[in-house]
Amino acid sequence: MNLRFMRITSRVLIAGMLSLSLPMQSAYAAMVGTDQVASSAQSQSERARISSFLERADVRQAMENQGIDAAAAQARVAALTDEEVQTVAGKLDTMPAGGDILGILFTIFIVLLVTDILGFTKVFPFTRSAR
Amino acid sequence: MMFQISARVIAGVCFSILLGACATPQTQALRHLHSAPLPLQAELAEVPFYPQEIHQCGPASLAMLLNAGGDQVTPQQLTAQVYVPGRAGSLQVEMLSATRRNGLLAYPLAPQLADVLAEVAAGSPVLVLQNLALSWYPLWHFAVVVGYDLEREELILRSGLERRQVLPFTTFEYTWARAEHWAMLALPPGTLPHTATEAGYVASAVALEQAGHMQGALAAYESGLQRWPLNLTARIGSGNAAYAQGDMRRAEIAYRQATQDHPDSASAFNNLAQVLADQKQFAAALVYAKRAVDLGGPQQAVARDTLRQIELNMH
Repeated sequence: MNLRFMRITSRVLIAGMLSLSLPMQSAYAAMVGTDQVASSAQSQSERARISSFLERADVRQAMENQGIDAAAAQARVAALTDEEVQTVAGKLDTMPAGGDILGILFTIFIVLLVTDILGFTKVFPFTRSAR
Repeated sequence: MMFQISARVIAGVCFSILLGACATPQTQALRHLHSAPLPLQAELAEVPFYPQEIHQCGPASLAMLLNAGGDQVTPQQLTAQVYVPGRAGSLQVEMLSATRRNGLLAYPLAPQLADVLAEVAAGSPVLVLQNLALSWYPLWHFAVVVGYDLEREELILRSGLERRQVLPFTTFEYTWARAEHWAMLALPPGTLPHTATEAGYVASAVALEQAGHMQGALAAYESGLQRWPLNLTARIGSGNAAYAQGDMRRAEIAYRQATQDHPDSASAFNNLAQVLADQKQFAAALVYAKRAVDLGGPQQAVARDTLRQIELNMH
């Protein structure tokens, strides 16, 4: 009974998720989309579609947690390819984010000053790198 | 004497641990590349410059790149598309996706300094990610490579507040290697990257189509097909992009070519059948739809659907 309930619920959920993700597929029911031509194996792509859907939800949530408003986060996640979503999923708070955070401790300042002058780093605009 | 030497060794070891593995193999390789087809120097002086506001090197660098590619977007507009307030910075993947959102082709480069120089020599500025500080104390930074001088071994960048930053190849390579040699181009659709690979380029074009820029995607597919005429994805993609714009004739020509070059592609036959049905040529459509179903494969469900629709229309 319980198992049957779970089975039905999970089917409804999967169907719901797939229908939600449908707008991202080809808009023409009887046309094969270019992305589907590019990725060949269908059995894999069904599973990939579900996991990609979950990853997108995950990345959107992570973006909102990082201070991006909901509407913008939705548009920004939609603009990513499945592959790009995979590289971000679960890593948004640790992966490189180009932005220059210049709150440097004094000890680190000395180290970086030396490495800058030696030409291994380029933190400070006033240093000239050695070769 | 003995003490002096060991002190030096210890200092050296400590220093290398501090810096991680230090070497500039790509700079070395360029030195030995005497027969290189690269001009000795190049500089794209016309690339605009936006001095970055605090933490805004992502939007500023991307705006320079997109402006050079013909799109007049401002750093302020891009902030809403790439800046992540909680990280006080911008992510690499969003530099790619924002490029596509603004209608340009985003192409990640191979992790080679020689490729960066080749693209600059070919007229395209290159967006790079650097870790300006140390692997264990990262300072991530986006900048735009706009020139180089092989003899002086210098790179010219638009970076931060500097309109024309000159960096030795070696220093750049250290900072770039710490960011895994990441680099990308933003090109007007229809322009092939100088160092384009077939798989990488077609994937970039597909991503542009998925971003909804059908006209740009069509141009990208068509220039890709000039170099790789037998690429099935690009051929069907050019048909799909034309179809999405309502250009049935152009789509039909593309699909027909795909069925001729790839007689075992069910997708090609299916899409040809569909575009013929849309033009009310049901008899011809029926033949191709049946062929698509017979070929089977992963798209068989779509092919069966197409066939059913055509049969319904004929009765």
